[in-house]
Formats: sequence, structure tokens, C-alpha cells
Amino acid sequence: MAEQTSTANAWPSNPAGLIPAGRKRLGWGLLGVATLGLLAIIVVQILYKTEMSTVGFDTWRPVVYAYILWGIALGAWQVLTRGEEGQRALFLLPALLFTIAMVIFPTLFGFYIALTDWNLSSFSGRKFNGLDNFWQMLGDPYYRNALLNMVFYVLAVLVEYVIAFGLALLLNAQIRARKFFRVVFLLPLMLSPVAVSWMVGKSLMEYRFGPAATLARYLGWENPAFFSDPITARISIMILDAWTFIPFMMIMLLAGLQAMSREVLEAARVDGATAWQTFWQVTFPLMLPVSVTAVILRIIFKLKLADIIITVTSGGPGGATDSVSSFIYREYRDRSNVGYGTMLAMAYLVIIVVFVTWLLKFASRFVRNVN
Amino acid sequence: MRVDLYEKLVRAGATRRDVLKGAASMAAIAAASGAGIGAMTRTASAADNLRAQILQIPGVGKGSPTDADWQKVGELCLGGTKANVKEGEFAGVELTFMGLNNQNLHNFLFRGFLKPWEAYTGAKINWIDLAQADYNARLQQSIATGTVDFDILEMGAPFEGDVCGKGLASEMPDWVKKQVEVDDYSDYLKPPVGTWNGKTYRVTIDGDCHNLNYRTDVFSDADLAKAWKADTGDKAGLAEWGVPKTWQQMQAATKFLKGKKLKGQDVYGFLDPPKGWGGFGFYFLEDRATAYAKHPSDPAWLFDVDTMKPRVNNPAWVRAIQDVVDSLPYQPADQINADPGTTGFQQFLAGVGSAITWWGDIGEVAKTSDTAVIGDELGFDILPGSDDVYNSKTGKWEKLASGPNVAPNCAYLGWGIYVMARVDKDEKKKKAAWSAAAHLGGKDLSIWCVMYPSGFQVHRNSHSHIDEWVAAGYQKDYITSYLNSQFGSYNHPNRCVEPRIPGIFQYYSAAEDILANTFAGKMKAQEGADAIAAAWEKLTDQIGRENQIKLYKASLGM
Repeated sequence: MAEQTSTANAWPSNPAGLIPAGRKRLGWGLLGVATLGLLAIIVVQILYKTEMSTVGFDTWRPVVYAYILWGIALGAWQVLTRGEEGQRALFLLPALLFTIAMVIFPTLFGFYIALTDWNLSSFSGRKFNGLDNFWQMLGDPYYRNALLNMVFYVLAVLVEYVIAFGLALLLNAQIRARKFFRVVFLLPLMLSPVAVSWMVGKSLMEYRFGPAATLARYLGWENPAFFSDPITARISIMILDAWTFIPFMMIMLLAGLQAMSREVLEAARVDGATAWQTFWQVTFPLMLPVSVTAVILRIIFKLKLADIIITVTSGGPGGATDSVSSFIYREYRDRSNVGYGTMLAMAYLVIIVVFVTWLLKFASRFVRNVN
Repeated sequence: MRVDLYEKLVRAGATRRDVLKGAASMAAIAAASGAGIGAMTRTASAADNLRAQILQIPGVGKGSPTDADWQKVGELCLGGTKANVKEGEFAGVELTFMGLNNQNLHNFLFRGFLKPWEAYTGAKINWIDLAQADYNARLQQSIATGTVDFDILEMGAPFEGDVCGKGLASEMPDWVKKQVEVDDYSDYLKPPVGTWNGKTYRVTIDGDCHNLNYRTDVFSDADLAKAWKADTGDKAGLAEWGVPKTWQQMQAATKFLKGKKLKGQDVYGFLDPPKGWGGFGFYFLEDRATAYAKHPSDPAWLFDVDTMKPRVNNPAWVRAIQDVVDSLPYQPADQINADPGTTGFQQFLAGVGSAITWWGDIGEVAKTSDTAVIGDELGFDILPGSDDVYNSKTGKWEKLASGPNVAPNCAYLGWGIYVMARVDKDEKKKKAAWSAAAHLGGKDLSIWCVMYPSGFQVHRNSHSHIDEWVAAGYQKDYITSYLNSQFGSYNHPNRCVEPRIPGIFQYYSAAEDILANTFAGKMKAQEGADAIAAAWEKLTDQIGRENQIKLYKASLGM
């Protein structure tokens, strides 16, 4: 029995070394042909599209077909040259090729577009202009203003977190109609931000007949215009966005609270801890990993804030509520300035990646130190 | 309910046309709709001709038309199609139509109008609906990436440079010109509008200008007149309380009205829409600027014709910008967050503000839509003038011997239907596409469109017959005032015509962002105007200065 097991383990099926050389050659040949075919079709199409050749296709679709065939050849090459290891690779290859086609290539292409002067109305079409868009971006006061606004919007996440934590504690307590409130508090998250913009921003907060404005008047605010003054408008947008997304943080925190061991809390109570001490010394530190996750995810959502702003204020008054995304949206949609708009988007992508990476490291260090 | 009865009558043996032709049938329809004796009488007397028939669907003052109404109108107006196309001739043809869905109009109407056309010809239409704000980007993308995926396009004349100039449109066949009766178009919509390099591309379905819409109750109120007389502020020459005739008077009236009440409600003067609207908001600054900037001796007013140097930072435009800045504190507290749509439909038609500039939709909607509450207290005029006008050539302000300078703003030049060149290779498809376009641009259909909410305004000489409007249910004073403001603008010798240059909305959109900062007090008027000029210069270089100069001149008829 032991001998059989030993034999089975020592005899891998289709070990690479045992694959016939002819089969390997076939694999390499197949891959070579497919690669040459793909490269040839790309070159032909580039030459055709840049009007350096008269031979080519009207659309880039044949290149996509060639890529798919190349992907199949790649899979065959893996199996023919690596045997079972190659078969294992087949599980990964489709996802990898799909990611290359749908994420990596578009991102790289996006970086290329960012280096071009491409106005959709221009008679001369797309032109490579190096870093001109980048230098223009550095001197663009509207982009800087939008970035500054994003700092305020991101800082607002801390306030949202406090409210969400409070609500989560409340819904975790033994209160009447707890299940009902859990569902009710989740409702805003189920609404589209555009719907929220119309229902709340443009109806409830409407200056003339909106109930929120009427209430504000009743409370003594003579001219309750929520989107006319820069600071009020920014706060109003923050409230609208918070109303939509606080339930998201709340539900994560609630899940964390429910997963927390009751024994620890009971031990704290036996030791004579007050409610505040229990929360601050026990619950809060134990909830830190969940809190950090919730805050980071919320910040990532916040960095994409655009729909509410586009619908309610268009970035106004005077750019006070503009976000980077809403500014890029205008630059691209209204001004068809594709090259510059893409540069703004790519620069923002880099900023977000760097910021979130730093945030994750900072958060992990913070959690480690506290615990 | 009305549709049910209507269809019952048709099933009983009458054709739709017969049903609507007969006075008794019309009376039955009116009775079924609960419209009452008055409506029946009016309908019966008007039932002798097609135009009178369609104008009673559903009837002015009887609420918003529905899809059933659009279909009925479309069916009744099939005569032109039947004269040129055999029944079932386009069986198997599929066309894609790209247009707008603003305020549930445009494509919504086209669907209804074309449904009977589809049933008769056998063609099928697929629809691409776009919001106004998304329209420009979608169209530009299609052009730039060579992915024109539509056969028929609803488009404004400002985009003709982008589409016709790039060979993407199909030239209009002569039979279409005859079917839509192009000679009936208002003069300012005749070539060069709708043409490119001498070829005709557009079936005109709309005419555009901004006119002044004002509240007659406010400007004729005795108490306000008394208060105006007693007021010691600057009245800019408006001795007796009434509708301001110049922008100087409009400013004075707006400042005067702040804090006043009418029928117990706060009353405001002129309303500006300071918030951007995908570039379309810039037209509303133009409304204030044209009287200052368009000198009768100079066809140009937006750019210098020989260099494309922007004039937007000259003293005339800066004065218009400053006027808005000065006026905003006298407007409702949230005015800074109002775009033109809000100003027109949520404010003015709902009774806020005494005067606005807008396209002719306001006059149409006020009478024929459920959404308007302003009632009959509405009057119209061409845009206010100015006591003095800036002469760009001399660099001086001048007072004209003829009195205040008036320069109506023919903003956008209206919507048209264009057929794309991609259908040219298939004769059957080409004929089908042009037939659909011709049906939508038919003379009879057009009178219905300009009388009811459609997004389209008067654009034919045949739309100026006041009796026809009165017979349809409009009050004579009201419609006289409305049509005078429209045709008075179209035919004004000092009118400002939209520059049909590529990327014009990019210019407008860039200006909107800067104006938003200026109106919010972050920049001075001159500073903002200079920033707009700089952005426009850059844009002109990016799009191609030489071409833009050529096209700008062509758009001015030079």
C-alpha cells in the first residue's frame, strides 16, 4: 500500500520532461503562427488607419478576432508543451486574457489618449502632444478647485462614520421594532443617487415649495436656499451623499457588532465598566478592523462622487460643489475635449491609487498599534 | 377613453379621416371627451379642412396631447407620403432614428407621428433617445470615431459644420423638397441654413429665436404703477410703469420689484439662468448682450470675422455680464442655482418672476400643457434693446439716431431632420429615410407642432396666419403678441444669427464654467470675460482657425 502511494506520488501524469519533442514543437509552432498572425494584423490595421497603407479593415473587429484566436493558441501551447500543468493554466488563462483586454489594454490606451490633443470637433483629428495636457492640468484652476473640494468631501466621511456607528449601536441594541428600523435605514442605499438628487435635492430642498425649505423658514431661516451659498451648497451636497451612503457603513458596522463576542462585553460589565468605558475601551477597539474597512470603502465611493452634483448643482455655485468626476464629465461631455479629459481622469486615477495605498498602510499600522 | 371611442367609430366602417372630417363624428368625439358644447361648435365649424381638423386634436386649452393624439395627427397628415410612396413599398426596411427626449417631447412625438407612416409603408424604425445634455457628446463621438449608427438624425443647425461639413449627411432629393414645400420656410431659415457647399441637407421642423416673455398682470398693475411713479430711483427712461423696452429699463424694473407683492405673493422682475446647461445656458447671456454688441453696420457680434478673435471680452459683453451680476441680488434667493429649464418651466410658468427670455416654448406650453399655471397673464415681445450700442470697429459706444438698438437673438436656428449618407448605397432605404423625414417635416404636421407642446416653434410663413391660431382656440391678443415676437425676431434686419461653426457648443460650455464663477462673485466681469476669450482662442486653435474663419463668414452670409 505504502509502495503504491509512493509510486503514485512519484509519477506525475504528463511530466514536462516526458512530453514528446514533436508535441512541444507543435505547440511552439502553433503559438508562433498565432503570434505572428496577431502582430501582422495589428501592424496592417495600424498602417491602414494611419493612412500609410491602402490594405486594411474598416473596423478593428478583425484584430479582436485575431486576439481571441491567439488566446486559443496560447492555451493549446500550454497544454502541448506543459501537459497537466498547462491544463491547470487553462483555468486561469481566460480570466487573464479577459483582464488584459478589458482592463489593462484600455488603461494603457487611456494613458496614450491622455498624451494627445483630441477634440472631437477638430478637423485634424487626434494628434500626439506629449505632456501638454499634463502641464495644462497643473495650471487649471478648475481642476485644483475640484481636488480641494474632494478633500472636504473625503473629510466628511469621518462625520458619516460617527453617525453610522451611532445608528449601528442603536440597531444592535434591544430596541422595539429593531428589524423594521434596519430595513428602513437601508432604504436610501437602495435608491439611485440620481433619484435621491431629484427627490431630496430638487424637491424636498427646493427653495419655494420644498418641505425642507418650509421647515427652515418656520425655524427662522429667512431665505433657505440650500444651494446658493458656497459653504451651504457644499454642506447640502455632503448631506445628500451621506443620506445615501451612511446605511452602507452602518450595515457593515452592524455586522461587526453582531459578530463581536458577548463574553467580552459581559466581562467588562462584571469588572464594573460603565457604558462609555465599555464602548471606548472594548467595543471601539474591537471594531477597528471593521471600521477601517468601512471607512476605506466609503472613501473609495466618495472619490467617485459625481451624479448628485451633476444633477443638483452642476458644480456650482462658482465651482463650490464641483468634484473631480463632475468636472471631468463636463470637460468630456460638454466640450468633447477627449485628450485633456482623459489626462484629468488618468491623473486622478494615479492620485487615488497612491492615496488609497497610503491609507491602507496607515490604517493597518493604526489598527496594529491600537490593538 | 377618447381613443377607445375613436377606434370604435373606425371599426364601425369609417376611415380615420372620414371620422375626423365629419362634423357629427367630431362632435361625438368632443362629447365623449367631455369637452362640452363650445368645443363641439368650434370643432364642427373647422372640420372642413385637414389643418383645422388636426388642430382640434386634442384642442387648445384641453390639456397635454397624448400618444394617441400624436398618432391621429400623424395618420391624418399622411397625404404627402401617399403621393410619393406606394403602400408597403418599404417592407423589410429598418431605420434607426436618433433624437431627443426633452420634456417627453421630440422623439416621443416622432414615434406617434411615424407609427401610421410605418403601418402604411411597411418600414420599421428603431429609436435612440437622448437627453439634451447628452446629445452633443453622443453626436460628436459618433462623428469622431466613425461610428454613425443611425440613419435619420434630429439635429440643430449649429452642428451642420460637424456633420454636413464632414460628408456624413445625405443630400435631399428634389421630391422631398417638393413634399415639404421648402419655399414656405421663413426667410432666415432658408439657405445657407440647412445647406453645405450648395447642397441641401435639412428638413426644417423648428425655428428658433429667444423672445421676451412677460407677465401682463405685473406690468399693468395699478398699485405697482403708483409705486413706480413715486419711486425716486433710476427709471432708465421708463416714465410710466409698463413692459421695459430696453435692458436698462429691465434692470431698473427688476430692482424696483424686489420686495414688492402682487396678489399677496412676492414678485420678482427679470430672471436670469446663471447655472450652466450643457452650453445652452450661454444663449441667455447672449440675450442680454446682443443689444449692446450687435451694431447694425456689422454682421459679426461674437467673433471678429477675419481672425476669429473673440469679442466676448469687449465692453459690450462685459456690460451684459455685469448686468447679470448686478441683477442677481434682486432675483429669488436661489437664483444662482437655476438653469434655463428651471427658470422657464419651474419658475416663470409656475408664477415666479415677471419676465424671462426663452425660446417660443413658453408661449406654446403656457396654453397647451398641464404643467403651466401662469394662465392668461402672459405677453410677448422681441428682446429688449439698448439705449446705446458698442461699435467694435471704432471701439466706441454709439447712440443711434433711430432710437434704441434692438438685436433679436436667433439662437440655435431650430431643429431639423437629416438623413445620414450611410443610406445612400441602398436606394430603397434612402427613399424610406427621406420619406420619414419628409413626413415629419410636412407643412400640415408642422402647424400642429407649433401650436402644441412639441419643442418646436413657428418656422414657416404659413404659420403666421393669426386666424388659423384663433380658430384653433388661441386668444387673438395672446397669439398676435406671440407671433409678432417670433416673426418680428426672425425678420429683424439686425438679428443675430447662430454661428454654424464646428464645436460651437464647446465655446458655449467653456464660457458657462467661467460665467458660473463670475456670477458667484469669484471673478470680476472683465476678468471672467477675458478668461472666456482666452479659452475660446485656445479652442479655435485646437479645432482649426482657418476653417473656423471660413465657416463663421459663411454662417453670417459673407
